[in-house]
Amino acid sequence: MSTFEFAPYDLPPEAKALRGEVRAFLGEALEDKPSVERARSWSGGSREFSRKLGARGWIGMTWPKRYGGHERSYAERYVVIEELLVAGAPVGNHWVADRQSGPLLLRFGTEEQRRTLLPGIAAGELCFCIGMSEPGSGSDLASVRTRARRVEGGWKVSGQKIWTSNAQHADWMIALVRTGDAEQRHASLTQLLVDMKSAGVAVKPIANLTGESHFNEVFLDDVFVPDAMLIGAEGDGWSQVGAELAYERSGPERYLSSMRVFLEFLRIVGDTPTEAERLLIGHVTARMWTLRQMSLAIAGKLAAGENPAVAAAVVKDLGTSLEQDIPRDVQALAPAKTDEVFDRTLIYLLQTSPSFSLRGGTREILRGIIARELGLR
Amino acid sequence: MSELRAILAETTERVLANAPDWARVEEAGLAKVLVPEEEGGFGGSWEDAFIVIRACGYHAVDLPLPQAILATRPSDLYPPMLLAAQMAGALQAALDLSVQYTRERKQFGKPLASFQAIQQQLAVFAEEAAAANMAAAAAFRAADLVEENGGDAEFEIACAKLRANQAARISTGIAHQVHGAMGFTAEYRLQHLTKRLWTWGSEHGNERHWADWIGARVAARGTSNFWPDLSSG
Repeated sequence: MSTFEFAPYDLPPEAKALRGEVRAFLGEALEDKPSVERARSWSGGSREFSRKLGARGWIGMTWPKRYGGHERSYAERYVVIEELLVAGAPVGNHWVADRQSGPLLLRFGTEEQRRTLLPGIAAGELCFCIGMSEPGSGSDLASVRTRARRVEGGWKVSGQKIWTSNAQHADWMIALVRTGDAEQRHASLTQLLVDMKSAGVAVKPIANLTGESHFNEVFLDDVFVPDAMLIGAEGDGWSQVGAELAYERSGPERYLSSMRVFLEFLRIVGDTPTEAERLLIGHVTARMWTLRQMSLAIAGKLAAGENPAVAAAVVKDLGTSLEQDIPRDVQALAPAKTDEVFDRTLIYLLQTSPSFSLRGGTREILRGIIARELGLR
Repeated sequence: MSELRAILAETTERVLANAPDWARVEEAGLAKVLVPEEEGGFGGSWEDAFIVIRACGYHAVDLPLPQAILATRPSDLYPPMLLAAQMAGALQAALDLSVQYTRERKQFGKPLASFQAIQQQLAVFAEEAAAANMAAAAAFRAADLVEENGGDAEFEIACAKLRANQAARISTGIAHQVHGAMGFTAEYRLQHLTKRLWTWGSEHGNERHWADWIGARVAARGTSNFWPDLSSG
């Protein structure tokens, strides 16, 4: 009777117990971190911080122990992820690997790939980047042109990736490449693990409008990739990348990105808000509370072994809309007298927020996915 | 869904889907969903009641069934929660109607549903309907937890009614836009849903009422309690 089933999900006691532990750790580890840096959320990264989290056992939490994982529940992982995001922890170095590269390798990778790479990810030592977008292939991902041609013992890869976050720090890229006839479109795509230290890989950072360089151009010039670095099967790249995007979209990071400026707004208005300020706080809180329930429902689906790809698209579109409304609405209602911490946090999030509904699948692509589920296309 | 709950959902559909009358509702025991089994009721939880009350909204039922359910467990806190569930049901029904209509209605030689301008609007509608439904379901769940653990579900109920009001504001406009003039007629079914949604948007607290209530509470609790409070459930 509902198009999308979102059922209330109660976190189990072990997950609730873990929250206090994570909060105490982050309170100490991030004590001196300024608000504007916390606002970077998972765009900011520190290998040292990732190692600390790895040592705590908070990366690769749900993976089997034989691959360096910790065999904890999805609910426990959910709690850790939520707390890291709300605190604005510098998780960028392991975020992609923990969220999607590792799970992808667990599902489609070879035993050797799992044994050699997953423990390094779980320890917070390895940084991965996503080799999907190309200069001519954004939303139309199936049009990628980076080619891998067969050679003795592997492939030679040539082409260009772009908007690749963290490529300048990454040890590995999971690249979507064309291994057959472009006419076949979906059927000739393959995923390869590319060692970023290989000869022929060149990374060129692109400054974004805030002046920071998170994303990059990656040039691949006859890069040798050995047979052992094929993920899954040749020609299965399209369905595998779909699974990877479902991992990418199903976490709670799609509604918490503007938390920092909302907290700054609460601080500035204090305990005597005007009616207009109360209304904004109330509207945002109701949307955020609802999104958290939906996000929990997705965690519940993951825990039950379901694939919540369409539900994740619903939450991501609702969530990024909230993330974009918050800085705009806060600016519109900010009192005349603020302070520097508030101003810097606000301007940073105003400037960053356009990316929220682009990264990980644009708003229009997500709505297209939902429309298909509705039977409109 | 548990087996008992599935039976309840099935019974609810059978009774409410086609021209329901009070005698059939009584006979099926829907008003006694919360009444303990030993007193001749279904012995259900608030989450079970959610199914029946939401269906009243979905089928635009003109019987005082939600009120009858509430009368078995009187409370001043719960009327907005019940309304949020009815709104979630009505939103889903209006969405289903909009999807069906745009797939059938042709212009420029093809179904309206094939136009991206229509698809993108209905995707937003579906998201809003899902959000209203989640918020209401979570409030009913919170009401069950109160009976186990004490406390109250005031905050969750406030959020659920506000989220339903927000969703109704956005979605009723989309429903009528994609229906064109047909949706504006007295004869077509859409108006039975949207007129109820517009009425319910004011009953038991409009957006101003609940946003102000939540905003005052959040501000009084202070910045450092915001996330701990939100994540306490």
